[in-house]
Amino acid sequence: MTAAAINVVGLSKWFGDFLALDDIALTVPRGCSTVLCGPSGSGKSTLLRCLNGLESWEEGEVVMSGRPVGHRPRDLVALRRRVGMVFQDFNLFPHLDALSNVALPPRVNLGLARAEAEAEAEMLLAQVGLADFARKYPAQLSGGQKQRVAIARALAMQPEVLLFDEPTSALDPESIGEVLDVMISLADAGRTMVVVTHEMGFARRVCHEVVFMCAGRVAECCPPERFFAEPETERARAFLAQVQY
Amino acid sequence: MTLSTIPSRLPPEASRTGISSGLRGMASESPVSLILWLALALGAAWILPGLVSWALLDATWVAEDRSGCDPSGACWAFIVNRLPQFGFGFFPPQERWRAAVALAWPVVALAIALGPAFRGRSGLVAGALAAYPVGATLVLWGEPLGLPGVGTAQWGGMTMTVYVGTVAFVLAFPVGLVLALGRRSSLPALRVLSTVFIEVWRGLPLIAVLFISVVMVPFLLPPGTELPRLALALVGITLYTSSYLAEVFRGGLQSLGKGQAEAAAALGFTYWTAQGYILIPQAIRAVIPGILNTVVALFKDTTYVLVVGLFDFLNIVNAAVADPHWLGLANEGYIFVGIVYWSFCFLLSRVSARIEWDMARGAAREART
Ligand SMILES: Nc1ncnc2c1ncn2[C@@H]1O[C@H](COP(=O)(O)OP(=O)(O)OP(=O)(O)O)[C@@H](O)[C@H]1O
Ligand SMILES: [Mg+2]
Repeated sequence: MTAAAINVVGLSKWFGDFLALDDIALTVPRGCSTVLCGPSGSGKSTLLRCLNGLESWEEGEVVMSGRPVGHRPRDLVALRRRVGMVFQDFNLFPHLDALSNVALPPRVNLGLARAEAEAEAEMLLAQVGLADFARKYPAQLSGGQKQRVAIARALAMQPEVLLFDEPTSALDPESIGEVLDVMISLADAGRTMVVVTHEMGFARRVCHEVVFMCAGRVAECCPPERFFAEPETERARAFLAQVQY
Repeated sequence: MTLSTIPSRLPPEASRTGISSGLRGMASESPVSLILWLALALGAAWILPGLVSWALLDATWVAEDRSGCDPSGACWAFIVNRLPQFGFGFFPPQERWRAAVALAWPVVALAIALGPAFRGRSGLVAGALAAYPVGATLVLWGEPLGLPGVGTAQWGGMTMTVYVGTVAFVLAFPVGLVLALGRRSSLPALRVLSTVFIEVWRGLPLIAVLFISVVMVPFLLPPGTELPRLALALVGITLYTSSYLAEVFRGGLQSLGKGQAEAAAALGFTYWTAQGYILIPQAIRAVIPGILNTVVALFKDTTYVLVVGLFDFLNIVNAAVADPHWLGLANEGYIFVGIVYWSFCFLLSRVSARIEWDMARGAAREART
C-alpha cells in the first residue's frame, strides 16, 4: 500500500504535430488532493483524460495504484471502474432520473442488485444534499444540482481516485459554492482527488499540492502556501494576477 | 427542502388548454385565417351533399351481385360480400380465427400503446411485437401447434399486409441497429462492410430486391431446400427495411454529444453496455418520428409482394374488382382500400405522437417542487 495513487513519468502526447503534453511528471499520494491550474490550452484536460485512459499517449507511463495503465480496452474498462471523473458540462444521462443516473453504473458495472444500488444511490444523493431530487430528470435540475448528481454518480462506483475537470466553470456563483462544499467535504474525508480548477480559494483551502501547467509542461509543482505566496515563474505570477481579480 | 415551503400556485387561466380556450383562439384569428376557414366551409358545402347521398343515403349494403345494387349510390354490398377475403385471403373459413389473431395482434399492441399509461406498458407493447414473428407464423401455419396446416399460398389480404409489415419491421429493427453501429465503428473493415450493405439495399427499388430474393436466393441455398416464396420475400423486405432503419438510427446516434459516450466510458461501461444502457436508448428516443415514418412507408410497400405472386390487401381488392359478378365497382374498391390504409397509417402517426408526448412529459415532469 505504499504505492502512490497516481504516478506519471515522462508523459508526452501529440495531437498530430502539436505537442500537447511534454514530458510530464506527476505524483499524487493516496488521500491527497492536487489542483491542476494553468492558462487555457496548457494541457490540463488532456493530462486529466490520460489518467483514466480517455486519451492515449505516445511516450511515458501512467501508473495508477501501482498498476501501469495499458491501452487494451479490457484494461481500460477495469481502470475506469476505479477512477471516477466529473466533467465541466456534467454529462448526466438525460433519459434517466437522478436516482437512476447514480444507481445504474454500479448495477451494470459492479453487478450490484437493483435494490442495493438504489439504496446506495439514495444515500449518496443525500450526501450531496439532493435527497429530495432523486426522481427529477436532469432537465429539471439547476446546473449546481446537476453537478452534484454527477459527483454522486462518480462516487457510486466507489473509485479510488476522483478526477474533476473544471467542475464549476459552467455554474453561477451560488451553485459554485454548493459544488465546492461537496468537494471540500470529499477532500476532508481523505479522498484522492485531482482537480482542474480556477477556484484558487478551493486550492488554498483543501489541496496538498498545486501543479501549474504551461504549454504542455509542468511549470511549477509545490504546496499551495508556497505557490500563492511566492510563485517561482513569471508565467505563474501573471496567471495568479489574472485569476485573483 | 426549503423549496417545498413555497406555496404552490397554478398558472393563469389563459395558459391552460381546452375547448373553451380553443374557441376563444378562433375569434381572435387574423383575417387571412378567417378567409381560409370560409373557403374550407364553402368547399365542404359544395362537395359533401353529393358525397353523402352517394356514399350513405343511396348506398346499397346488402345484395347478391352487381344487379342488386341501386345504380345511383355506392354498392358497398360488394365490399361486404368480399370482406372475409379482403381480411383473411384464402384462409379456410373454419380456420379464419387464426388469421384474425395474426391480424389483430399488432393492432391491439398499438392500441395499448395509445391507451392509458400503466406500469410496464412499453414493455408489454415491445414484448408483444418482439414475439410476433414467431408467434404469428406458428398461429397462421398451425402445424407445429397441432392445428390443421395452412400453406403460405392461402395467406393473404389484410392479414398478409399486417403480417409482412410487422415481421419485417420487428426483424429489421435489431439488424438496423447493428448496421448503424457497424457504420460508426472504429474498425475500418466493419465500417466498410456495413456501409456497402446499407447502400446496396437502400439503392435498389424494393421490386428488384424482391426479385433478387425470390429468384436468386434459392440458387445460394443447398439444392433440394425449398423455402416458401413468402419467406424469401420476407428476407428481402427485412434487409431493405433494415438499411433504411440503420440510417435513421445512425442519425440518432450522431445527434448525441460526444460527452455521453465519454461519461459512460469514464464510469467503466464497456462498448456494448454503454450502447445498450446509455446511447441506443437516447438515440431511439431522438428518432421516433423517423422510425414511424419508415414503418408507414414499409406498410404501404408491402403491396409489392404481388410481384412474387402473393396477394396482400391491395392486390386482393384489385383482383376482386375484376370479378364479372361485380364489374365496374373500382370506385368502391379503391375508396375502401384508401380508408383502410389511411386508418392504419393514422393509427401509426398517433402512436408516434403519443410516444413523443409521453417522453416529453417524462423529461419535464413538473419542474415545480
Ligand atoms: N482532440 C484534439 N485534437 C487536437 N488538438 C487538441 C485536441 N484536444 C486538445 N487539443 C489541443 O491540446 C491543447 C491542450 O488542450 P486542453 O484541452 O488539455 O487544454 P486545457 O488546459 O484543458 O485548456 P482549458 O483551460 O481551455 O480547458 C490545446 O492547445 C488544444 O487545442
Ligand atoms: Mg480543459
